[in-house]
Amino acid sequence: MLSAASALLIGMPAAAASAASSASAGTGWIRLAHLSPNTPAVDVYLYSFGNSDAKIVLHHVAYGTVSPYEAVPAGDYSVAMRSAGAAASSQPVLSTSVTVKAGHAYTVAGMGPESGLRLQVMNDQLTTPSGKSEVRVIQASLKQQTVKFTCGGQAIVPKATFASVSSYQAIPANTWTMQAIGAGSTATARFKMAAGTVHTMVVLDGADGLEIVNLEDAAGAGQPPVGAVSTGFGGTAGHGPGSPLPWLAVIGAGALIAVGGGLRLRRRGLGRQMNTGV
Amino acid sequence: MIAFAAGLVVIVGGTAGLLLTHHSTPALRPVAAGVAALPVPTGPIVAPPQSAAAQVARPVSLTIPLIGVKTNLITLGLAAGGAMQVPAASTVAGWFTGSPRPGAVGSSIIVGHVDNKHRAGIFFRLPELKRGDDIYVKRADGTTAEFRVTEVQEYPKDHFPTDTVYGPTPDAELRLITCGGAFDPVTHHYLSNIIVYATQVR
Repeated sequence: MLSAASALLIGMPAAAASAASSASAGTGWIRLAHLSPNTPAVDVYLYSFGNSDAKIVLHHVAYGTVSPYEAVPAGDYSVAMRSAGAAASSQPVLSTSVTVKAGHAYTVAGMGPESGLRLQVMNDQLTTPSGKSEVRVIQASLKQQTVKFTCGGQAIVPKATFASVSSYQAIPANTWTMQAIGAGSTATARFKMAAGTVHTMVVLDGADGLEIVNLEDAAGAGQPPVGAVSTGFGGTAGHGPGSPLPWLAVIGAGALIAVGGGLRLRRRGLGRQMNTGV
Repeated sequence: MIAFAAGLVVIVGGTAGLLLTHHSTPALRPVAAGVAALPVPTGPIVAPPQSAAAQVARPVSLTIPLIGVKTNLITLGLAAGGAMQVPAASTVAGWFTGSPRPGAVGSSIIVGHVDNKHRAGIFFRLPELKRGDDIYVKRADGTTAEFRVTEVQEYPKDHFPTDTVYGPTPDAELRLITCGGAFDPVTHHYLSNIIVYATQVR
């Protein structure tokens, strides 16, 4: 990653910012989702900008599906949705553009009711405070227009309306009972939220009422080690540079001898000149 | 005349000696040659799990065929003071249990020594790895996760990029850590860490 390369060259600490820790130079991640309850299955296409051949095609993506992240080179992309089985050359039902930055992750989801279907690009967080987990809620239930989402009995999103995406919240690492409470239905589930993990909870209309899907977006060391790692004792290091002084002393002695000898040569030369009296 | 010539000889000899035994950069460790490549481990190679609920089995061994690395994996935690614990022996590598398991979502950390006081350690040849090289981690349930090297980096230890190495990633990644760079004979420590980054293949 660019910041890691800079650290190597100019010896400054790599800035973490909000980017993930990928060292693959210029790689980001993108995943595709269908979160519109009354829209039939779609085919989803991901194009690299300017390219008419799709980089990724997902066929027959039904409501409630979130694809795994695909690693893609950083750059500009477009996402298109067509009815399932429609020709790749046909006019898409929806399309949107996405700029993927290196070390960043994105979710592109079909959201809203079928009559108002839109493609929403979400920036996915990939960092956590030490010892905590980060959670956000996507409310994709049409039947329960407003949902209260709780974690351990406490509301982390008091009023999630249909087709909304909440901001991320840091919660203590633990196994929590989560609830999505709507006027006509409640879903309850227990999930382990480990330190150093990022989650997106998706509230869906299931066959028997509300359902909660727990997506683990990213994970790392919940409590990273401090500093560098001591994994060497020097047995293969070769002899280091000893003191150069002995060699300098030798060179110095040689210089003294040479100068002394040279002076004597000059004196003899002068002597001869004086003797011959030129 | 003789003294002058002798003096020149001594100067030349001294300079040659100085140049031959001293380098403008501190002594770097040599890279070993010609270890035969190891076979790929047997057993099913599986893709990363699709669901967050799917639990990935614990790692038990690491094989890097191209550089002749084959080791069981011990477990490592944090030492007192919060630094990474390191294996007591230079001949085994260890998985940092504070990181995700290899093949689960996230950045999994494996640590090994480059050498001990007398000879090469398990990760001596790590710097030879290049983008595209294969790394295999066998797990307690008999499955194997295959990773492909994406990058090899060297960082000065006094500017270790903690977030870059240990922070969250959305995919199943592996980071192998060892020492490298110049060795400081006064403190008896290498001055850099070498990190090999790899991503699980599907």
